[in-house]
Amino acid sequence: MPTLVLSLGNVLMSDDGLGPAVLRAFEEQYVVGPDVVVMDLGTPGLDLSPWLADAGQVVLIDTVKAPLPPGSLRLYQKADLVGQGTGVRISPHDPGVKETLLALEFAGRAPTDIALVGIVPEVTTMGLDLSPAVAAAVPAAVRAVAAALERFGAGVSRRAEPIALEPWWSAEVRIPA
Amino acid sequence: MSTHITVDPVTRIEGHLRIDVEVDHGVVTKAWSSGQMFRGIERILQGRDPREAWLFTQRFCGVCTTVHAIASVRAVENALHLEIPKNAQYIRNLIVIAHALHDHIVHFYQLSALDWVDVLSAVKADPAKTSALAGSLSNWPGNSTQQFQAVKDRLTGFVAKGQLGIFTNGYWGHPAMHLSPEVNLLAVSHYMQALDYQRKANQVVAILGGKTPNIQNLAVGGVANAINLDNDATLNMTKLYQVKELLDEMKGFIEQVYFVDVCAVAAMYPDWLKVGAGVTNYLSVPDLPLDEKGATFEFPGGTIFDGDLSHVTPITSFGDPYFQKNVTESIAHSWYDGDWQRHPYQEDTVPKYSEYDADGKYSWIKSPRFDGHVMQVGPLAQVLVGFAQGHEPTKRWAVKTLETAGKIAGATLTPAVLHSTLGRHAARMIRCCVLSELAGKHWSLLAENIGKGDTTIFNEPVFPKGEQQGFGFHEAPRGTLSHWIVIENGTIKNYQAVVPSTWNAGPRDARNQAGPYEASLVGNPVADAEQPLEVIRTIHSFDPCIACAIHTLDVEGHEVSRVRAL
Repeated sequence: MPTLVLSLGNVLMSDDGLGPAVLRAFEEQYVVGPDVVVMDLGTPGLDLSPWLADAGQVVLIDTVKAPLPPGSLRLYQKADLVGQGTGVRISPHDPGVKETLLALEFAGRAPTDIALVGIVPEVTTMGLDLSPAVAAAVPAAVRAVAAALERFGAGVSRRAEPIALEPWWSAEVRIPA
Repeated sequence: MSTHITVDPVTRIEGHLRIDVEVDHGVVTKAWSSGQMFRGIERILQGRDPREAWLFTQRFCGVCTTVHAIASVRAVENALHLEIPKNAQYIRNLIVIAHALHDHIVHFYQLSALDWVDVLSAVKADPAKTSALAGSLSNWPGNSTQQFQAVKDRLTGFVAKGQLGIFTNGYWGHPAMHLSPEVNLLAVSHYMQALDYQRKANQVVAILGGKTPNIQNLAVGGVANAINLDNDATLNMTKLYQVKELLDEMKGFIEQVYFVDVCAVAAMYPDWLKVGAGVTNYLSVPDLPLDEKGATFEFPGGTIFDGDLSHVTPITSFGDPYFQKNVTESIAHSWYDGDWQRHPYQEDTVPKYSEYDADGKYSWIKSPRFDGHVMQVGPLAQVLVGFAQGHEPTKRWAVKTLETAGKIAGATLTPAVLHSTLGRHAARMIRCCVLSELAGKHWSLLAENIGKGDTTIFNEPVFPKGEQQGFGFHEAPRGTLSHWIVIENGTIKNYQAVVPSTWNAGPRDARNQAGPYEASLVGNPVADAEQPLEVIRTIHSFDPCIACAIHTLDVEGHEVSRVRAL
């Protein structure tokens, strides 16, 4: 069963796009083994469950709410995520990571282990760039993703030479030829 | 003496949808719907390449990704008068269908079932009786006494340990909960099984779309799925048969489980077939195109006014002038600069926030209107517009639903009961049954067309100098979605998305006409002002999807919704 590295967040909403940004930086600097699947899921709501149902070890990258300054790194484990209740659900966005995990836990199909790499955001309004504090936290988050994979015993190694990946949501406007 | 109730969900982000109601003698007399977050993501698109717009628009919303991608490429194709190959239409149609099946199943089982199902009551159920009941309604193999016993045991264990995490916001024990323990156990069991079918639908989208969420295979002018029956890396027979098998499995669940569960809930909550109608003007656009041009469709489109099913004004093509001319948006009660009602091509999105004022501006959502009328969109509009125009599968499934629910209830149900809170749930299920049936047809159309040797998937778009306008619509799971684009010298000059939840959740307009959410709440009962389950029921029946969409996880905070009764 593959180990999953999944990023969450909306690249159109400034710091909310942290997950995809960290995932890209991670892929620029690291190579994963054939036992690891790396994927950006955007803001999938309950569409997370097909990814997490019956999964093994999972590394999630997301912005998190915490009483700390923007850019702070927080690491959580599975027990932190399934330990509480949920809020009232109005829209399909409301159920997210916790709700999906609780539902899968109830169904007996939650992932065996989870490492959540979280960063406290500053700005989550429309925009394509990370705020300076959150952008500065990306390298630490990338190292945390690699460390989590190592702890899981999954294949990960640092590239001798980092590669450059251009994000499709690059702020630069491209004029068609 | 009236009570004012505010339901303002404080979720992990700054709040999506706030509902205010005034309740007099246990009945809602006035209601306000307010979107609590500014969107305006369209502005990111200005100056960009129209061929890339769909990549951005499918990030508007993390849940409705596919639909914004489809509407966007259709808008650009409409502006360029660009036809797309048959294969591309059929592949898009199959993605659209699989996405919709997934969305409807998730909505019923994961998002709204707890409004009707009392989970705690299920621990008192007799699994043998549940199995007998289920067996009397369908032949589904997942309805054995042993299976229900296993779910009951699991639930009992969770209750004993106080680990009801996912259900903590269920309104168990609420006086408005009426299902027997056996039916509650049935629903909880099917809730767990639904996870598998959600996954199967996603697999279809992933095989054809490359990935889900956020498909990768679209292009202005067609799709990027290379077709070569002898090549493993392209769309080939093996992949097509995987898709077919998954769609067939979905059909089994939809017809034998989802259909039956909705009929049972409708039959056991007959009062909810009488409230929640609200606006009975309906709008639905045609979808599942059958030709290159978008002039013939599987589903008919049109408008219905005042619930009169004997008069439908049809909408017949991707370029339909009746649709194109009549859509406007009003900002009279929305937090934008000005007080206009404009056509989407002429709109701007300039935020101007002021305090919440029920008589003034109170929402970030604009108010779309059709020829000045408030319109309800969504599965109910889809089903009624299809029914009124004699769309055979829609009519057949609607009649079957009314007969089956009527039989369980021991009553005769007419199409008129569909104008209601539970009618919207029933319509969603009817649409899902029809879509599931049509999945097989569109799969065959694709396979046969490829079989004839046609592997064309793409027509190259050409952008002339000067300005072009175009609109693309899609009948999405939540209703009519339209994207409107103005292109100037090959780049995007203006872009607006008029989304289904805007039609339904929008505030009053300049003439003070209430939006569909607002109108639907008037007349709803509210037994307990501190636990306004009934308000939630009616709002959930629209399948609201508002935030479009940020995602910050709150691990440390305690998330509570605020219900204020004054």
